[in-house]
Amino acid sequence: MTCDQVKEHIADYLAGTLGRPEAEELDEHFARCAACKQETAALSETWEMLGVLEQEQPSAQLRPRFYQSLEAYRQGLESAAPTPARRRLFDWGWRGLAWSAALLIVGIGVGQWLGVRERGRADLASLQDEVHHMRQLVTLSLLEQQSASERLRGVDYSGRVDQSDTQVLAALLYAVNHDPSVNVRLAAVDALRRFAASPSVKGSLDQSLAKQDSPLVQLALIDFLVDTRDKSAVRSLAALERSPTADKNVKEKALWGLSQLQ
Amino acid sequence: MPETRADNVLMQKVRDGDLAKMAVLFERHHRALFRYFQRLTGNREFSEDLVQDVYFRMLKYRHTYRDGNPFTSWMYQVARNAHLDGAQKRKGEAPLSEEPMREPASAEPDPSEILRRRQDLGLLRRALAALPVEKRELLVLSRFQNLKYEQIADILACDVGTVKVRVYRAIKALSQIFFELAGEKAS
Repeated sequence: MTCDQVKEHIADYLAGTLGRPEAEELDEHFARCAACKQETAALSETWEMLGVLEQEQPSAQLRPRFYQSLEAYRQGLESAAPTPARRRLFDWGWRGLAWSAALLIVGIGVGQWLGVRERGRADLASLQDEVHHMRQLVTLSLLEQQSASERLRGVDYSGRVDQSDTQVLAALLYAVNHDPSVNVRLAAVDALRRFAASPSVKGSLDQSLAKQDSPLVQLALIDFLVDTRDKSAVRSLAALERSPTADKNVKEKALWGLSQLQ
Repeated sequence: MPETRADNVLMQKVRDGDLAKMAVLFERHHRALFRYFQRLTGNREFSEDLVQDVYFRMLKYRHTYRDGNPFTSWMYQVARNAHLDGAQKRKGEAPLSEEPMREPASAEPDPSEILRRRQDLGLLRRALAALPVEKRELLVLSRFQNLKYEQIADILACDVGTVKVRVYRAIKALSQIFFELAGEKAS
């Protein structure tokens, strides 16, 4: 291997992608060429030092900025989509037109209007579906963040998702039962009011009462169960009211809840 | 939960109208893109603007994405164009910051060794800032973004051999500047 050929292999040598035969040839060359050996050692040192430089992280604002832009872009597409323009089929100033010509125009106009309307409906349904998916992604992504304030934003964002969205519903129920932040749990209980019609909400929140270690969340849950007239919660409320470890205020609230539901 | 699909499949879906899939691609790649721009420009705010610009461009030009085209290469091609346009608008490359390096935690007990390493990393950062942007980009792609030379060749639209020679020249130039700076400091 010549000195010029060594230079062709330096990049692979640094990246650790050099083949075994080439590596052996390189070693042989270094054994008899001090200049190449010294240069490669210096380049390796620089290369290794580059790997120690710290990789910076983007700010917390980048993510919400992106999602806002994505939503704006989609809304822009939505507003740019063709809308069925109502056509003026008759111009009452043209009273001299023959009936045959008028009927022809009416026929064509109505036909086109119906066609455009059908396409418009399909486009709108597709866009609504896209918006729904995007909102779902934002909500789920925020709810998985490490920062409690980001998860709170996720709970808040869930208000823009359809009430039939089972993934967001499951994420909110998970937040109520497992989120380490009391604020996030409280917000999730409030957010679940939109999903109150779902049978899975009632069953889950009823069971959640006993698991909660925060009296504030328990109070919010009792309010929720009473407001939604969830009679299946009677047993859980009674158990809470009798519990020796429950907070005094929670026990009183549970007793009140029982009186409302029975 | 977001699907763990291949990037190119997600991008095909974006191209075909499923714009929400761009959110998954954002979550996967925005940090790497930010670091790419941060290393090239040395400016956090500008780098975040460029990340935004890349995703906007990928949405706008989604119809140009071809089936089978590696997404990462395509994304970096878009990123390079965004950087070139952005740098032109700013009338020249923003100088890289020469703030003291934040050094990763080290278990070395010797304070003089820690100080020497810190000084070396500071010099290296200055050397990187002094490197012409084409050479800096080669090192950013190969060393910081950990892209293979084949991928870099794809991004730069040249052959792999050319990439390897350019990487050699770039690391050599960086090394020379670094040792010059170290010599100035020592003298």
